[in-house]
Amino acid sequence: MSAIAEPVVKPTSRFHFIFDRRAVLETVLIAPAIIYVLLLVGLPLLLAIYYSLSAYTIYDPTWKFVGLANFKQILQNPTFLDTLRNTFVFTFGSQLLGLVLGKFGAFLLLQPFPGRKIVRALIILPFAVPVALATIAWQWMFDSLYSVINWTMIAAGILTREEAPNWLGNPYLAMLCIIIINAWRFFPFAIVIFLAGITAVPQDVIDAATVDGAGFWRRNYQIILPMILPIMAIGLIFGIVFTFTDLSIVFLLTMGGPGGATSVLGFAGFQTGIVSGDVAHGAAISLFMLPVLLVVVIFMLRFIRRREI
Amino acid sequence: MGTGKFPRVTRRRFLRQTGLTLLAAGSAPALSAPFVSSAYADTKSLSIVQWSHFVPEYDKWFDKFAKDWGEKNHIEVAVDHIPVGNVAARAAAEATAQSGHDLFGWNGAGGAHLYRKFLVDVTSLVEATEKKYGKVSTIGRQIGYNQDDKTWSAFPDFYINFPSLYRKSMWDEIGMKPDTWDNVRIGGAKLKAKGHPVGISLGHSNDPNTTWRGLLWSFGGALQDAEGKKVVLNSKETVEAVKFVAALYNEAMTAEVLSWDDSSNNRYLASGIGSMIINPISAYRTYQKANKKGADDTFVMTPPKGPVRQIMGGASEFYGIWKFAKNKEGAIEFLKYYADNWPEAFKASEGYNNPCFANLVPKPMPILSDDPTSTPRDKLAVLQDSDQWSASPGYPGPSWPAVDEVYNDFVICDMMAKAATGQMSAEDAVKWAHQQSESIFHKWNEKA
Repeated sequence: MSAIAEPVVKPTSRFHFIFDRRAVLETVLIAPAIIYVLLLVGLPLLLAIYYSLSAYTIYDPTWKFVGLANFKQILQNPTFLDTLRNTFVFTFGSQLLGLVLGKFGAFLLLQPFPGRKIVRALIILPFAVPVALATIAWQWMFDSLYSVINWTMIAAGILTREEAPNWLGNPYLAMLCIIIINAWRFFPFAIVIFLAGITAVPQDVIDAATVDGAGFWRRNYQIILPMILPIMAIGLIFGIVFTFTDLSIVFLLTMGGPGGATSVLGFAGFQTGIVSGDVAHGAAISLFMLPVLLVVVIFMLRFIRRREI
Repeated sequence: MGTGKFPRVTRRRFLRQTGLTLLAAGSAPALSAPFVSSAYADTKSLSIVQWSHFVPEYDKWFDKFAKDWGEKNHIEVAVDHIPVGNVAARAAAEATAQSGHDLFGWNGAGGAHLYRKFLVDVTSLVEATEKKYGKVSTIGRQIGYNQDDKTWSAFPDFYINFPSLYRKSMWDEIGMKPDTWDNVRIGGAKLKAKGHPVGISLGHSNDPNTTWRGLLWSFGGALQDAEGKKVVLNSKETVEAVKFVAALYNEAMTAEVLSWDDSSNNRYLASGIGSMIINPISAYRTYQKANKKGADDTFVMTPPKGPVRQIMGGASEFYGIWKFAKNKEGAIEFLKYYADNWPEAFKASEGYNNPCFANLVPKPMPILSDDPTSTPRDKLAVLQDSDQWSASPGYPGPSWPAVDEVYNDFVICDMMAKAATGQMSAEDAVKWAHQQSESIFHKWNEKA
């Protein structure tokens, strides 16, 4: 008869018991992320709000509370309203163009062709290239003297040098240029979003629609597009938030010119708050983004939730 | 169930190993402290940050100069060069964090007066240098000097002048010289017809901010009064200046100038199209390296005379020592040594850096009076007296935060551009700019 050995019970510490509780462990694991957001997003936001309500400048770093005086002064400046309008045009213009390009790109990349995998990898490049490098490359394309676009059109006999577009010198063309660059940066992301959405649409749904006589356009706009709208909306939220708060393209390409035609909120806030040292006004200009973005995000998230139900 | 050679990662195992790793990483500095070389810990250091100079050879010279000084004094010197556009943001970051470099080199508008409360008073250093090398020029004083309490919050390093650079053969062909603003317009119109317009930027960058201020002053207009208290932009003289710029743009320039940055006019000159630009001699130096023949045909002269005076904007460079600097004494000693060797800096910059102290580089100045790379060799001689026609953005008053913000918001450039492109009449453009400037001045008067 063999004796069965008694299992040796290891003495366990109270520490182990605490972490054996799922809720405690979950809290501990999620805590770094929450602390990170609170410290690096929450605190700066609160600080920015206080700055905007104070008289803080680099010249006189005082915390004196001035209420809404900074906001009032900003709103009285007609140039600020132009900046606000520019920001909307830049954001929604580039998102619209990016979405259209993304949709076309996704359709093209869904088609089988040799080297499709390589093209799919390369298409991500604009999204991965540092914005400073990309903008400098674009600057040469829009340069008044050495523009590749103008040179090509002149060489092809389409235009003369006198007729060549003054890309960054004309207020409307300059806005178009920054929209094009931002759309170029955004469209690979849009392609990925569309590809993910389209490939997730069940093939039997598309087959059924085809059997019922739905053509290309009807399949795309009455079946596929409504089905991928929630994922598209998520991509759009990212795009709008990043574009609305962006200053890099304007800073590197136009510095808000010509004549303030491309000045956007991020750029104006940076110039006033950092370059000129009026931190309070700079923070107030930047905070104008907050309500706009909040409304856009809430609206889109509600839309997504409804679509999912 | 996995039976591979790697043991299964359980929750407990993960927690234990992660905890140990974090503990080891956290305690490493404390454990290793007794073993760190005391010699290394005792080494003094001096950190300097300044813009990447437009003459790259100057940066090479400066880095070696600073390192040699450090070796002589057993101080480890680190020099960081940052793009000129990043200077303001870096200064703001260092001041806010109360940490950064010991010595901060500013470029152009802003700096000494804006960061006054963060900077060490260098009055005794400037006064000692004045005793040795003569009085500080007006442009040097406008930036670093605080009129209210007669102190210096920064040490004037050098100023950048903006002379006229013109293609002699083109102007000779029409029998004119761009010596007055009227001649620039009349001659420029003739040369534009021949395919060689004048090129002065109307975009958003430093060059137009500087050049159009110069034109405004030469017509008798100004942004502020001599005390820096009042905006005086809305005047008959300013309207005349703006009308002139509109005529100059339409008759002698092309729409390209509306999009230009600081390097565009350099390229315009080097392309062989432009007949005249207003720019520091870095444009000429670049042209010399790219096309000697074209550069030999490019001549340098004092800026055009206006109806009231001959004057042009300039950009001052200056060093500030942060109050939170770890090696303030080292920074002051370095600046003394730097001033004593300033003629070397002047040569290294190929005559681009102009002295702020009267006798720092005695005349005839090397390079400017006799430049072996130029034909004729005295081509740059007129620049020796550029302190007489160079002024900082606040002229005729001091530079202060409101003047900087008008500068950074490109109000004067946009006033000129709006009238030039017909977006506004000259009178309305001046009223618009006056209103913008007044609201900035009002804001800063409340805060300063």
